[in-house]
Amino acid sequence: MTEIQADKLAELAVRRPAIGGRMARWRMALGNAWHELRKSRTASIGAVMLVLLFGACIATPWITSYDPIKQNYRERLQPPSEKHLLGTDRMGRDIYTRLLYGGRRLVAIALLAVTFGLSLGIPYGVLSGYFGGKVDTVAMRFIDGLLAFPGLLFYLLVVTLAREWKIEGLANDAVLVFALGFAFMPEVARLSRGSVLAEKQKEYVEASRAVGDSSLAIALRQILPNIISPLIVNATVRLGYVILIIAALSFLGLGTPPPTPDWGSDLAAARDYMETAPLIAAFPGLAICYTVLAFNLFGDGLRDILDPRLAER
Amino acid sequence: MLAYIIRRVAYLVPVLLVLSIVVFTFVEMLPGNIIDTLVGTEGNNDPEVRKILEKEYGLDQPVYVRYAKWLTRAVQGDFGNSLVTRRPVAVELMAGIPATVYLAVVGISLSMLIAVPLGTIAAVRRNTAIDYTAQVTSLIGISIPEFWFAILCVLFFSLYLGWLPSSGFANPFVDPWASLKFLILPAAAVGFRQAAYTTRLTRSSMLDEMNKEYVDTARSVGLSEGKVIFKYTLRNAMIPTITISGLQLANLLGGTVVLESIFAWPGIGRAIFEAILQRDYPLVQAGVLVLGVIVVVMNLLIDLTYRLLNPRVKFA
Repeated sequence: MTEIQADKLAELAVRRPAIGGRMARWRMALGNAWHELRKSRTASIGAVMLVLLFGACIATPWITSYDPIKQNYRERLQPPSEKHLLGTDRMGRDIYTRLLYGGRRLVAIALLAVTFGLSLGIPYGVLSGYFGGKVDTVAMRFIDGLLAFPGLLFYLLVVTLAREWKIEGLANDAVLVFALGFAFMPEVARLSRGSVLAEKQKEYVEASRAVGDSSLAIALRQILPNIISPLIVNATVRLGYVILIIAALSFLGLGTPPPTPDWGSDLAAARDYMETAPLIAAFPGLAICYTVLAFNLFGDGLRDILDPRLAER
Repeated sequence: MLAYIIRRVAYLVPVLLVLSIVVFTFVEMLPGNIIDTLVGTEGNNDPEVRKILEKEYGLDQPVYVRYAKWLTRAVQGDFGNSLVTRRPVAVELMAGIPATVYLAVVGISLSMLIAVPLGTIAAVRRNTAIDYTAQVTSLIGISIPEFWFAILCVLFFSLYLGWLPSSGFANPFVDPWASLKFLILPAAAVGFRQAAYTTRLTRSSMLDEMNKEYVDTARSVGLSEGKVIFKYTLRNAMIPTITISGLQLANLLGGTVVLESIFAWPGIGRAIFEAILQRDYPLVQAGVLVLGVIVVVMNLLIDLTYRLLNPRVKFA
């Protein structure tokens, strides 16, 4: 089916009066999405894993009754049992509960950070690519400079500043969101700029210019919707990467201070009990692995679906 | 070609400026001023001493003057003294570079030794059990946090089997055997992770090449399948693989902070990490700047080599 046919069909679908109200329409949209996803096995496995993950994050207060922070020395370092599904840690806290609360925070920070990165990077890249010329050159050199920070170094600087200013709790999480989002911005900007340069030449842009639309309107209303799919794929994969970075920072002891439940710092604390209770170190690691894998599988599959040229390989 | 090189080198200037401004701003944004950090450790709060120090560090001057002075000295390799050891920062950093390069080079070599054969087999035997296994393994490899993988390695090979030391370092020129034993676990942790990326890349660029017309031609003139793959396809497919491995190497030089601190590896990443813990900010500042410069310059060299080796890429 060509693009034009698809557009026409979509238009018809919108014009047609709703059958069975809003719920039915939602169900249809979900059904369509699932049908598309089924085309890629990796995407559907990833989607199922993500649904489970988000479900657990949302339902946390209902699927555990323990407190993630309150210590209970009488029950420390217990193996998994009926009472404590995954056992207890060095302070007698239920590991299953800590994983749930930690995951909730981690996923929320990652989602916010990636959204922040997109909302900075897309306008930056689209405008830079659309205007071109000197503006573009200057804007892109700035991006190159930001990309020059290898690995964790940029985050280390920001996290250190947060520590020196004694920023704690929610404000500390906000700093993480800012740093991770800001570091994602250059990649988004480059990607959207590249797509804009490719789209700019196409006829539909010429057409809207001929009709007399302003530059900004063209950039945002015409070009943006057409470059969105590589960005979605990129953002999905980035979510996994962001989670790895947050975990690495708190593993180093530079992220979230205890006693806040956190997969990275829980893993670091478990290192002292590696010989006596290796399972404690296993669970947070598995949780990180599961989450990152879910995002990577979903992103990979999504790439195959949205870019059929690659899927044929 | 020459014009291209000159322009690319000129592009470095703004990049390095942004890098240096961010690094300079970092220290400027620390709470209090550097005098507090300096005299705070010694409990000296004499206003006279403060005045002298303020003058010495140029704190009575506007920020852009200080930046210019700092940059001028940094370009000459003068980053001041470490607040902890009192030795020049440049000396402290140089001491960490050999160990980091050693680990990164061995790790990347290991990665290519695993990834190139695996990616090639996966592409040639596409959609078979081997291919799926390679793909799933590399996806998991990308998703495993490197510090967790490192801990699992230590748990199994050091604590459980007792074959290898759990952390430490020995100079390979003094005691090669001991050095090798210390090297195996960190290098495996670096290598396997990078191999996960490189396997995927090798596989997809092999598939790309195998769909090209020259491969059909080679087959139609009767070349053996082995010759087609190893003599022609693989060679072309290796170009992106080598490029990415070079970029990975550049990034590893600045990105092994976590592994270096797990394995007590005396590299530049651990030096920066410990400087953060000890609040030795001149060292942190200089370390990040130096690593950034290394990465930027390496990226440029890789790009130029790539273009030299691959004449089809235009010097646009």
